[in-house]
Amino acid sequence: MSAGIIDIDYVKYACTCGLLKTLQQLYFCRYCSELRCSFCVSHEVDSHFCGKCCENLPSPEARVKKNRCVNCFICPSCHHELSTRIASKQPATPEEAKATKRTYYLSCLCCRWSSRDIGLPDQTSATGSWPKRKTFMQDKEFFKRKQKEKIISYTDKTGITAASLRKRIGLPEDKPILKLKNAVKMVTPSIAQEDIDDFDEEVLTKSINLLEITSIDQRLLQPDVQPVEMNMIFPVQKMLSIKRSLRCRSCEHNVSKPEYNPNSIKFKIQLFAFYHIPEIRIVTVQPLRAGVPAELLIKFTNPTQHQTTISFLPFDTPIEIKESTAEVGGSKGEDDTSDLDKSLPLMKVIPSGAKVMALVDSHLNMSRSSARMVTPRPLDVSINCDVEIPSSTFILPPRDDAAEYDDFNEAHNIQDDKKLVIWRKSNKAFIKLIVTPKEDTSIGTVITAGFTMSHLYTNTITSVAENKKPQKFNHNIKLILDLGKSVGSE
Amino acid sequence: MPLYEVEKSVIVLDIGTSFTKFGFTSEPAPRSIYRTQVKSKGQIRELWDYRDAQDLYDMLVDFFHDIYFKYALNSPKDKPIVIVESLLCPIIFRETLAKVLYKHYGVSSILLLSSHLVSLAPLAIDTALVLDVGYKEAVCIPVCYGMPMIHAWQALNLGSQTIHKHLQMLLNEKNSGAQNLSEMTLEDIKVRCCFVTKKSRAQQLQTLKPQIEMCPEIKYPVKGSTTISVCGTTREKAYEILFDEDADHLCLPTMILDALMKVNIDLKHQLAENIVLIGGTTMAMGFKSRLKEELLCHSKEERYKKLNIKCFKFHTSPSKENYAAWLGGAIYGSTDCLNTKAIQRRNILKKRNYLIGRI
Repeated sequence: MSAGIIDIDYVKYACTCGLLKTLQQLYFCRYCSELRCSFCVSHEVDSHFCGKCCENLPSPEARVKKNRCVNCFICPSCHHELSTRIASKQPATPEEAKATKRTYYLSCLCCRWSSRDIGLPDQTSATGSWPKRKTFMQDKEFFKRKQKEKIISYTDKTGITAASLRKRIGLPEDKPILKLKNAVKMVTPSIAQEDIDDFDEEVLTKSINLLEITSIDQRLLQPDVQPVEMNMIFPVQKMLSIKRSLRCRSCEHNVSKPEYNPNSIKFKIQLFAFYHIPEIRIVTVQPLRAGVPAELLIKFTNPTQHQTTISFLPFDTPIEIKESTAEVGGSKGEDDTSDLDKSLPLMKVIPSGAKVMALVDSHLNMSRSSARMVTPRPLDVSINCDVEIPSSTFILPPRDDAAEYDDFNEAHNIQDDKKLVIWRKSNKAFIKLIVTPKEDTSIGTVITAGFTMSHLYTNTITSVAENKKPQKFNHNIKLILDLGKSVGSE
Repeated sequence: MPLYEVEKSVIVLDIGTSFTKFGFTSEPAPRSIYRTQVKSKGQIRELWDYRDAQDLYDMLVDFFHDIYFKYALNSPKDKPIVIVESLLCPIIFRETLAKVLYKHYGVSSILLLSSHLVSLAPLAIDTALVLDVGYKEAVCIPVCYGMPMIHAWQALNLGSQTIHKHLQMLLNEKNSGAQNLSEMTLEDIKVRCCFVTKKSRAQQLQTLKPQIEMCPEIKYPVKGSTTISVCGTTREKAYEILFDEDADHLCLPTMILDALMKVNIDLKHQLAENIVLIGGTTMAMGFKSRLKEELLCHSKEERYKKLNIKCFKFHTSPSKENYAAWLGGAIYGSTDCLNTKAIQRRNILKKRNYLIGRI
């Protein structure tokens, strides 16, 4: 995820699954209107590509190629990528210079290992012609092919099958091929040996050069051979990488889907929480002392195109987990999910009445999607600071990119509670909260405050599908703020 | 080979304490062998150093995420998986593993295989005494006609970890600056410099003034700045800890003999003549021949007189020993076993709901 300036983990949002994440690490499923994180979405392989040459492969082809790139190699010595180099051999005579072609070899720019170190001959073409190590498996396939070549079929050419020929001549039906196929070839069992000679007397007298012996990582890079000596190592084909698409487990809609092209870093679908949930940052906090109220300034930013109202609730406000029924968005409704849900008691009806959300006990629900739902866990946090919850609410105007550059447009017709809102500009507002660290906190403990933010969310997804007005509802999120360490008295 | 003819390959996994073997069914070697580590919250942790079930659950989720999206490059949903594990695997690990795979990743079925049993598959035999020497422990279980003899199991706290500790101690004796070498460095020294010596030499090394010529010393560079000397005695003695009897007079060879003592008298000779060694530690040079020497020597002791075994025979695996169990899993996974013996997800879910309904 994005590191650096925007990924500061002082403010954490509680995901629906109970994990604490920063806003940048969260997704927001617009169909269920819930926060999702990498832990509680299901990951799927979208496309295969090579990270070095950026070639993308369809997944069946990738499977055939054993998830490895044909052209790119990694260094068997240091696992770095190998680069193809042009051999710089000076021709002895001008005639020779004309006649000789360019040759290539592989070289590691990290550890200086090169394909010449193991005596691999230089290649005439840059890609595709690198010799492969003969493995046990390849040998076996070679033999199979040889055996097949021996039996030459003439019937294909004449159109007469063996069976019809037999009938014509009047021979009884025979199934020699079938028999061959069904007959299980008995494997010869291994025979145990009494004489073992795995001790090399030479080791007692010969001094060894450490540089000639491979390390365990170098050995395990080639699991089938596991070479012991440095001159046995061989360039390894680079593993392919994948692009992942992420899917919400409850409604099976994508929350993130990348573009197919490996060069593109854009997404087809990107439902990051960053675009939907108000962002909160700590501006400043007065020194925190046990039992003494302190002012806390936090900045709210509305990233959406719709005006929102934000109110505060105590931290321990229960948040209901909605289990959306399958027909949201009208994409599906064929399986037994909806029937099952209807048979269960409906426990909550969302206001503005478009959709019925059933609060279903996740244990009872046998449906396919909910069986894979991540059961929410209790928040792993200890709150040692009380937050005075303001009773008033405030409004955040929609995001306006043009306003960012407008220094003079200070006029806004919003009636604010002056005690709550300190300053505002376009879609941002500074909010003052009073926090009191608990009496028994010792000096130097990290003060953690928490509250529940309720923001008015405008869901536009159903309005597009069904030509309705966008539905608005309050969405509650628990927030955990790391306010730094407490200090002693003045 | 046309693209559409490719069979659906199934992941085979052998989660060892130190290294995880990963590959697909009906392949002769694992695709990759890598350290059983999980990167969680910015630090690298060993998977088996879990605190509790919840901690293990989270680590396993990360661990399988790597397997599916870094190595297998496959979506896990509705696909079977083959897991090779020791019979002595803790219940908590097995249950959490099942929870992660069925619930979090939604695999269709899991085929759990016993590592001792399946490692006989590549050898095409059904009776053998299997000794698995891994990182943490050595486990010996006799397998008779395809049935592991659980009552005869032997386990000792002997493995790479013990060797590493022993090696550190030996190095400290000779080098002042070798106080705190990392496990990785010790492993590297062990792999590149040390070997299992012969019994006659080992006995000489025990004495104060060994009457043998020492093997050459090796200068081993550490972190590019210092050099520690790995002397001849250290090189030979590193593995000795496996063959030294502990306070209870137990060591690697006695494990095999104790296991033989516990099986039926008719099977004793057959098992002694079919010994299979698996696990990465058994790959050390000279390990097999030394074990045989030790076995012959210990079998003459008073406590094992009853056995009356004069001959020990060892099998040579077609694969490297460290992935012998994996290879067995790959063979089993490519047979009908996968459809008949695997635990289906729908059955598990039904049972779970049934249980909840009862309560």
